[in-house]
Amino acid sequence: MSRAKVPLGLFVAMSLSVLGVAVPAGATGSEGQITWAVHTTLAPTWFDPAETPGMITPFMVFYALHDAVVKPMPGKSLAPSLAESWSASPDGLVYEFVLRKGATFHNGDPVTGEDVRFSFERYRGTSAKAFKERVAAVEVPDPGRVRFRLKRPWPDFLTFYSSATGAGWIVPKAYVEKVGDEGFKKAPVGAGPYRFVSFTPGVELVLEAFDHYWRKTPSVKRLVLKVIPDESTRLAALKRGEADIAYSIRGALAEELRRTPGLTLKPAVIQATFWLYFADQWDPKSPWHDKRVRLAANYAIDRKAINEAETLGFSKIPWSIIPSTFDFYWPPLAYPFDPARAKRLLAEAGYPSGFDAGEYFCDVAYANLAEAAANYLQGVGIRLKLRPLERAAFFKGFAEKKYRNIIQSSSGAFGNAATRLEAFVVSGGSYVYGSYPDLDGLFQEQASELDRKKREAILHRLQELIHDKVMFAPIWELAFLNGVGPRVEESGLALIAGHAYSAPYEDLRLKKP
Amino acid sequence: MKRYLLRRLSYSLLSLVLLSLTIFLFVRLTGDPSVLLVEPGASQADLDAIRQQFGLDRPLWVQYGSFMSSLVRGDFGQSFYYRTPVLELYLSRLPNSLLLAVAAMGFSLLIGIPSGILAAVRVNRWWDSAGKIFALLGLSMPSFWVGLIMILFFSVYLGWLPSSGSGTPLHVVMPAVALGWYFAAAHMRLTRSSMLEVLGSEYVKLARLKGLPEALVIGKHAFKNALIPVLTLAGINLVIMVNVAVVVETVFAWPGVGRLLYEGIAFRDFPVVQATVLLGGAMIVVVNLVVDVLYAVIDPRIRYQ
Repeated sequence: MSRAKVPLGLFVAMSLSVLGVAVPAGATGSEGQITWAVHTTLAPTWFDPAETPGMITPFMVFYALHDAVVKPMPGKSLAPSLAESWSASPDGLVYEFVLRKGATFHNGDPVTGEDVRFSFERYRGTSAKAFKERVAAVEVPDPGRVRFRLKRPWPDFLTFYSSATGAGWIVPKAYVEKVGDEGFKKAPVGAGPYRFVSFTPGVELVLEAFDHYWRKTPSVKRLVLKVIPDESTRLAALKRGEADIAYSIRGALAEELRRTPGLTLKPAVIQATFWLYFADQWDPKSPWHDKRVRLAANYAIDRKAINEAETLGFSKIPWSIIPSTFDFYWPPLAYPFDPARAKRLLAEAGYPSGFDAGEYFCDVAYANLAEAAANYLQGVGIRLKLRPLERAAFFKGFAEKKYRNIIQSSSGAFGNAATRLEAFVVSGGSYVYGSYPDLDGLFQEQASELDRKKREAILHRLQELIHDKVMFAPIWELAFLNGVGPRVEESGLALIAGHAYSAPYEDLRLKKP
Repeated sequence: MKRYLLRRLSYSLLSLVLLSLTIFLFVRLTGDPSVLLVEPGASQADLDAIRQQFGLDRPLWVQYGSFMSSLVRGDFGQSFYYRTPVLELYLSRLPNSLLLAVAAMGFSLLIGIPSGILAAVRVNRWWDSAGKIFALLGLSMPSFWVGLIMILFFSVYLGWLPSSGSGTPLHVVMPAVALGWYFAAAHMRLTRSSMLEVLGSEYVKLARLKGLPEALVIGKHAFKNALIPVLTLAGINLVIMVNVAVVVETVFAWPGVGRLLYEGIAFRDFPVVQATVLLGGAMIVVVNLVVDVLYAVIDPRIRYQ
C-alpha cells in the first residue's frame, strides 16, 4: 500500500502482462507440503506465547505450534479449544475452565491445569500489566480444571484471555522449566496441530503435522513459511510454484495476480479499521466544530471508489471505527457519496466556497488512501495539505496530541468495541484529543455492567451517539490481499473472522492429484 | 614504524568511537520503536512497558554509557524484534553475506577486467564504445531494478533459476549478478584507465620495440602492472559488498547482513542497526588500516610523512 512501491509494482505487473506469463504447467512442491511466501520476518519470540506483542503477526505461528484454552475459530469468536467448557460466577469474579481430556503436547505430556496456570503466570506480553492488576489468583483444583479469581469484575476478561493477548496460549510447564526460556525459543513444544521442525532466521520455518492433535489430524504433512520481504518477488515465487500461498499482494500486483490463470486472489478482511479524526471538533473557532462541516466531509468521500482502486473492492466499509467482526459492534447508517449535499451543508455552515482546512496527517504507508480522501474533500471545497509522516513519528505525534485539523487514524488492535472506544473515543484514551461527557458516562457504565445484554445495549447506544455527533469519517475495514496457487484446495484464509493469515492449519487441504 | 602503527591504530579506534556515538544518536532521532512493536491503538501501559523493557525510558547518556560498557565486553545487546543477542544474529547472517559478496566480486572481476582490457587495447573503437555503454548502464541502473528484471526473465519467464531464497548454488546466481553488476562497471572503468596508463609507459614501448608479440606485451608486461590498483579497489569493494547489499538481499530474500540491517531499520531495532553499522564500519576501518600499514611497509616515505 506504500506509495513508493506502487510504480515499481505497476512496472512489474505490466511487464508480467506483456510477457503473457502464466503459471508454469506442473509447477508443484513436494507432495503433502504447503509453502507460504511470508511478507514479514519471522521472529523466534513468536514461538513463545509469553512474549506476545500487541500485534496480529505472531498468531500466524501460534495457530500452528500452540493451542489456547479458548480461541477464535471459524464462525466463533470464542471457541472451546483446550478447555471443553467454561463458566463465570454471577458476580463476575470467578471464571472456571474445564480442560479437554486427551489433549497432549508434542512431547507426549498431557495438557493440565498446572500448564495453564504456569503459562498465565509467566506471560509478559501485551496487557500483562492489566492481568496482574485484575487477576487475584489462578487455582488448579484438579488437573482438569482451572479457576481464575479476579480482584473486581472485568467483563472483558475472556476477550483479553482468549483473543486480545497470548496469555491463554498454553506451553508445557515441565519442558519450559527444563530447557529455559531461551531453549524454548530454540526448540518450542506446543499443543497445536503442527510440531516444530526447524527455523532458519530470516529464511524459513518448517513445521510437521502432529498426528495426535485433539481436534483432527492435519491433512497436510509439512508446512514451510518462507520469508520473502519483497512483494514482486513473492508474486514471482507464487507464479513459479515455489510458494503455494503468498501473503500481502497489493495494488497493481494484486490485479496482475487476479488475471493470472491458475492463481486465486484471496482477500481476508482484517480487524484494521481506518478513519478520519476531526481533531479540532472541540475548538469553537475551528470550522470542524460545526457538525455540518464534519457531515459534509463524510458525504464528500466516495469510499466505494477508493476501495475499488486500492484494494480491488475487497475491503469492507463498516461506517464505524469498530471492526464489524468485533463483539458489541453496532452497524451505523451509511453516508452515501453525495458531493452536492456536502456542498449544501458547507454553505449552510457558512462556507459556500469551501475553506482552507489546514493539514491532513497520515502514516506514510497509507498515503495512497489519504491522497484519495483528500482529493474527494478538495472536490467539495475542503482544501487540505497532505502531511504523510513515517509510521513511528506519526503515531508518536498523534499520541502526544501534536496534530490539528484532520488525522487519518487506524487501528488493528485486538479486543472488542469497548477496548477500541477506550483508546480512541473516551476521555483519557491514548489517541483522544477531546471527549463528550455523555460518552464518557456511558463508557463507565458499561465497564461495570456484568449482564451481557445490558452491556451490549450501552455500547450500542455509545456508538449511536458517536455517529450522531459525527466524531469521525470512517473509511474502511482493510482487506489483506493474498495469492493462492493451483495446488491448494483450502488455504485457511478468511476462515476466522478478522484474522489475516491461514488458520486453523489443521483445516488446510491440498487438491487431490 | 612503531610510532606510525600506534598513530594509525589510535585514529582507527577514534573513528570507531565516533561512529558508535553517531549511529547511537542517529537511530534514536528516527523515532520511538515501541509504537512499531504493537498495533496502533495499543494502550499507553503497553507502550511504557516496552520502553522500560528495552531501557528506552532512561536518559540518553545513561543509555549510551550502558551501550559502550557492554560493547567493550563484546556484548552488542539484544535485538528488540528477535529478542536474541545481536552478535549471534549478525554472525548467523555473515556467512551468507560473505558468500554473496565473493560471488558478486567474482562476477564483477570476470566481466570488468576482460572488458576493461579490451576497451583499452581497442581504444576509441567499437569495443571501447561498447565498454563505455556497459559502464554507463552498470553505474546508472539500480540494483533492485536489475534484480527484478532478472527474476522476471530467468525465473518467472524462463524458469531457469529460483526467484528467491538461499541454499543451493543456483540461488546465488541472480543476487550475485545484481550486486556485482555495478561493481563490474566500476572495475571495467578502472581497468581501462589503468591499462591505458601502462600501455603508454616507456617499458611497454621498449617491449614492443624488442619485437615481443602483442599478446605477451599486454598479458605479461602491461596487465600485471595495471592490475594493482584494480585489485586494491576490489579488496575494499569486497568489504563494501558485504555491507551494502541491503536492497539486493531484500529483493531476493537473501538472508544476509544487509537484510538484517533493513529489518533493523524497519522495526527501529536499535541494537541491530547499531551492531550492523558498527561491525560494518569496523571491517572498513580494519581493511583501511591493513592497506595503510602495507603501503608503509612497501614505501618507507609514507611512514615518515
